[in-house]
Amino acid sequence: MEITREDIIRFIHKASEEMNANKDYLIELDAASGDGDLGMTMSKGFEAGAEAADAFGEEDLGKMIFKIGSALAAKVPSTMGTLMGSGFLEAGKALKGKKSLEPADFAAFCESYYNGVQKRGKASPGDRTVLDSLKPAADAVKQAVATGKDDPKELTRAAYEAAKSGVEATKHMAPVHGKAYVHREKLAGVPDQGAIVGSLLYKAWTETF
Amino acid sequence: MQRLLNKPEDYVDDMLKGIYAAYKDRVTYVEGDMRCYVTKRKKEGKVGLMTGGGSGHLPLFLGFVGDGMLDGCAIGGVFQSPSAEQIANVTREIDSGAGVLYVYGNYTGDIMNFEMAEELVDFDDIKCIHVKGCDDVASAPKGEEDKRRGVAGIYFVIKCAGAAADAMLPLEEVARIAEKANAHVRTFGVALSPCIIPENGKANFEVKDGEMELGMGIHGEPGVEVCPLKTADETVDYIMERVLADLEVQEGDEVAVLMNGLGGTPQEELFIMYKRAAEILDEKKVSVYFAKAGEFASSMDMIGASISVMKLDEELKKYLSTEADTPFIHQSAI
Repeated sequence: MEITREDIIRFIHKASEEMNANKDYLIELDAASGDGDLGMTMSKGFEAGAEAADAFGEEDLGKMIFKIGSALAAKVPSTMGTLMGSGFLEAGKALKGKKSLEPADFAAFCESYYNGVQKRGKASPGDRTVLDSLKPAADAVKQAVATGKDDPKELTRAAYEAAKSGVEATKHMAPVHGKAYVHREKLAGVPDQGAIVGSLLYKAWTETF
Repeated sequence: MQRLLNKPEDYVDDMLKGIYAAYKDRVTYVEGDMRCYVTKRKKEGKVGLMTGGGSGHLPLFLGFVGDGMLDGCAIGGVFQSPSAEQIANVTREIDSGAGVLYVYGNYTGDIMNFEMAEELVDFDDIKCIHVKGCDDVASAPKGEEDKRRGVAGIYFVIKCAGAAADAMLPLEEVARIAEKANAHVRTFGVALSPCIIPENGKANFEVKDGEMELGMGIHGEPGVEVCPLKTADETVDYIMERVLADLEVQEGDEVAVLMNGLGGTPQEELFIMYKRAAEILDEKKVSVYFAKAGEFASSMDMIGASISVMKLDEELKKYLSTEADTPFIHQSAI
């Protein structure tokens, strides 16, 4: 396996398409427990990330991922925009200097993305947030790489399946942060919109290969 | 609600164009971004001092940029955080080697963006310290001060930090004084109406006619209770009881008082309220070293007011007493 510069560009464009395709769904979910602007901010933010990737002229993929994050966060400084941007910043720092990515680097991407979001937002897994899809995805990739898997299709599929299970699990989690906490009684059985954004990120990875 | 504006989406940018036109000798912006607002009179070599936050609260936040107070401010949309990049741009501009102190309200979005900005300027070797204003008594119980929101009392924090930076103290010392001011100030506010965000033209909460909400936040965060409209005296009694108890003000203490309007309340009424506040302090034999009434942290067109009290000692008095002058605020030396 080798993830190239072109793969990352394709990934971020796929992510932008996924956010755009799910815009109305995210807005609808977010309106019930947040500001109702999540679909809009994710669609605008990932589009800015994709533009930053297109414009990036250097070989360092870590730096490219970092730039994607700073462009995303600059475009949409909302809570979720800043969190998604922070994931890319942390992943970019972890992959600094890499000109292509090996399976272990992909695992590092997933793990540092999760760490970046967690550090910024200070939530914990189980709090019904985006972490509840990012963490299972990162764990699944780590495990798959440890058992010697190196087919990008297989690795990204494992990540996406784990992220989707994470989204399912949020239906039965009680929110502890922000406006979702205020509306907690209405949310039983409803998936967390932030966790869905996390799973769309991994869906985009499966569509990259 | 009738308003004077052009396109709702241009609300913040049109406001900024007006401010830069009116005060072109005092303020400017960097990186071609009007939301990266800086003073034109930065004193070289001193600690840089900045804030940032959503629009809709004038004179908070950008109105505190000027002599004796802040060097810069990153400006967000109405009730939205500025981006980390905007904060980083202002940070780079106002740093002159002594580091930068961030003083901003204790809100999730702002905290995340200021922390991210610090990461962005880390490459430039700029040392940053964060002080988060958390003066709103109504937003979390005593003992959980770090969960409280920042409201009008941040004026005192910025005033004291500004004076300390002007005295050429090092970053850690300016931060210590800002933290000390922050720990000595409490605010409680009441709302008689909601406010309307220009971009969607709607109120995102409701205050019924004949009622008031006690402890409401400056973005309409729910307060501690809704009650029938009280008189000015009754309202001030309620507020002062909570503020003074939380701050543990005792007979013989010296305080500073800020009587703040939320945007839709006439100054006349602020002084009607201040009359009662002064009576209460007098009865309790608490002396008022400094008082100011006006708008410091507003909430668009919200009707209502807040009272901030800072408990003073000699050190805080020293930094509170110096002159400050910005395009929006003037405080004479005491």
